[in-house]
Amino acid sequence: MRAVSLLFAACSLYAQVTYDRLLKAADEPGNWLTYHGQYSSIHHSKLAQITPANVKDLELKWVVQAKSLEKHETTPIVVDGVMYITEAPNVVVALDAATGREFWTYEHPLPDVTYPCCGRVNRGLAILGNTLYLGTHDAKLIAIDASTGQKRWETVVTDYKKGYALALAPLIVKDKVIVGTAGGELGIRGFLAAYDAKTGKEVWRFKIIPEPGEKGNETWGGDSWKYGGGSIWLTGSYDPDTNLTYWGTGNPGPDWNPAKRPGDNLYTDSAIALDADTGKLKWHFQFTPHDEWDWDSVQTPVLVDHEYKGKMRKLLLWANRNGFYYVFDRVTGQFLSGTPFVKQNWAVGLDEMGRPVKAPGRGPSAAGTVTFPGVQGGTNWFAPSYSPVTKLFYLNTWDDYSSIFFAWDQDYEQGKWYAAGGVKAEVQSASRDRLNRRNPGAGYGATRALDPVTGKKIWEFRTAEVSESGILTTASNVLFTGNREGHFMALDATNGKLLWRKYLSGMAASSPITFLVNGKQYVTVAIGQALFCFGLRD
Amino acid sequence: MKVMTLAALSAAAALAQHSDTVLVNPFQTPDDRARGAVFFRSQCASCHGADATGGAGGPSLATGTFRHAASDEGLFKVITKGVPGTPMPGFSMNGREIWQIVGYLRSLSASRMAEQAAGDAAKGRAIVGAQKCTGCHWMHGGGSPRGLDLSTIGARLSVGELKRALVDPSAEVAPQYWLWEGKLKSGETIKGHRLNEDTFSIQIMDGAGKLRGVDKSTLAEQKLERRSAMPSFKDRMSEAQINDVVAYLATLKGDAR
Repeated sequence: MRAVSLLFAACSLYAQVTYDRLLKAADEPGNWLTYHGQYSSIHHSKLAQITPANVKDLELKWVVQAKSLEKHETTPIVVDGVMYITEAPNVVVALDAATGREFWTYEHPLPDVTYPCCGRVNRGLAILGNTLYLGTHDAKLIAIDASTGQKRWETVVTDYKKGYALALAPLIVKDKVIVGTAGGELGIRGFLAAYDAKTGKEVWRFKIIPEPGEKGNETWGGDSWKYGGGSIWLTGSYDPDTNLTYWGTGNPGPDWNPAKRPGDNLYTDSAIALDADTGKLKWHFQFTPHDEWDWDSVQTPVLVDHEYKGKMRKLLLWANRNGFYYVFDRVTGQFLSGTPFVKQNWAVGLDEMGRPVKAPGRGPSAAGTVTFPGVQGGTNWFAPSYSPVTKLFYLNTWDDYSSIFFAWDQDYEQGKWYAAGGVKAEVQSASRDRLNRRNPGAGYGATRALDPVTGKKIWEFRTAEVSESGILTTASNVLFTGNREGHFMALDATNGKLLWRKYLSGMAASSPITFLVNGKQYVTVAIGQALFCFGLRD
Repeated sequence: MKVMTLAALSAAAALAQHSDTVLVNPFQTPDDRARGAVFFRSQCASCHGADATGGAGGPSLATGTFRHAASDEGLFKVITKGVPGTPMPGFSMNGREIWQIVGYLRSLSASRMAEQAAGDAAKGRAIVGAQKCTGCHWMHGGGSPRGLDLSTIGARLSVGELKRALVDPSAEVAPQYWLWEGKLKSGETIKGHRLNEDTFSIQIMDGAGKLRGVDKSTLAEQKLERRSAMPSFKDRMSEAQINDVVAYLATLKGDAR
């Protein structure tokens, strides 16, 4: 009897990821406790065992194959030697981070028909206490016991039959789990919602598309707000000092026929800063008012304390899909600067408030309009990184890249695609093809370092193909990233020099992470259908 | 007995599943095709292009041959189930709507391919032999690997497209037939087709059909020309001869459905 009590006592004590640990996640670099690694979402680790000098000695430690053919977009979390990953469509796996061996698998059963825009993918998990949180394609939020893989509770976030799906990793703030939904191509009305982490009960909900009588609804002509889009399909950030949680919102719907929705279409294509306790909007900034190109502002909000014009400021750094790099004061939302970081022809420039002055005739048309950047933007959802060591901002860009945008008329129908237009481009929006025979003049990919204040390019590493991979930097100035070609690469974060690469044959569509196993630094990346783990040769 | 019955039943079910019976599209009237065009425009064209010739997100569906489906039934399955690992989702339209889209897609290649060749196929066949087309092209399991496989070219290109390919071969060239030439730092020159490329290397098939991986760091210079190695036959053959060759090539349909 006593033995049993002791056993249970031990269980209840183990793997307790307290909110305090999440707050200080950057100070325990042996773990990777949140989707973005830490609340500031800088995708940087203090680990420094792998260096520019020894990175060439990396060897494969293990590979875990996914059982799904869908794009493997998982970014793992690692807690005290245990790694938790997702596999498409809604599978959670607990692994031994040292060996890759499975402890358990949780599989969420899905209805035959769900409504993902672009593949039944999942990007990852959140953890609090001993509970994992998963968003599903049938628009549920599920709490799973981290020891057993058993479901604790599930809650219906919204009606998936109306085009909603959850593909993002949830964000924990204090005792709440925060999620948004995908569905910007299906005429949804997006929102961000917070749930009690213990019970799954909804605590607050912020509507991306305001309803009549609510502020912002006047930016939607007629009834267009009813199918206005405004998805949120990437995890946001949190600043405990301001108690604000920062998120990027998706495109207005229908995507490519803006005449269907006169006005600015708030709060689509925006950065939003909400009070984490109440969900009340503190400030917002709309990057692309009345978007005509499907340029979701679903990028990682990067929170950095950095000198700006001689004074330390709490900044929000944002390389947007529309091709401009923005700097904000994240306390007030004040726009500080915005500069193009790739070739663009849709805006003459930004005014002093950061609002774009659109170039005429760049919107979609019946005959097709060539616009730079193309539909996937100058960058997209894949995570950038900021290094407090180099004080540089790193991102993967698609440059010299355009699409031809078409518009046509279409009416909303529940559960149906609602884009009212289409896109052609030589660089495919999503390509799993192992053959790249593209005209080299049709655009290229580049990993770049920018001055975080001015947006000026410091260095770049060009690639033949574009990338959908996130970036990880470390305290030892090693930068890890992947691309569509199938390469996993280490660059010198100070100068962009290639230090090491391994061909893994498949695309990277998630973020590399790093952690410690038995005191040794490991790096993982999901490429193709597998998760690869590398460490220094023993 | 009961066991045997069950076994017999499941055998019958298995037979039914694996029989040659292919579901036939029950909605093939002109009105169905028109409805299919409307559904295609709203549900498919964003990725596959307004004219179904391909877009930024999806391949052309206008050729009559499909990567993930060999039959109408296969197309129906792709539309309802999607293609795992690609951005193609399963769609929640009702069966009638899906069949109408299938009919519309079939009509695209059917109308394009309806044009009849003016020449004499038998004469054309003789000309193809005399001109030694298989000196560069692959056909019926033999010939040269350098050029396009002509075995089923009649199922893929219309009469007009075949004629244009003979008269103006560089007008539209698939990227794997663009001409690549690289000079190595060692002094060696390699000419061929670029089959694949990444940041660090190029995969080439040279003029002899030899596959070669070229490390970009060994290259002194390289050029890629977006034109065909095939000469124009505009001045090499008479109009009648060209029509004969087109007529012959149009008969090369293989077993493509």
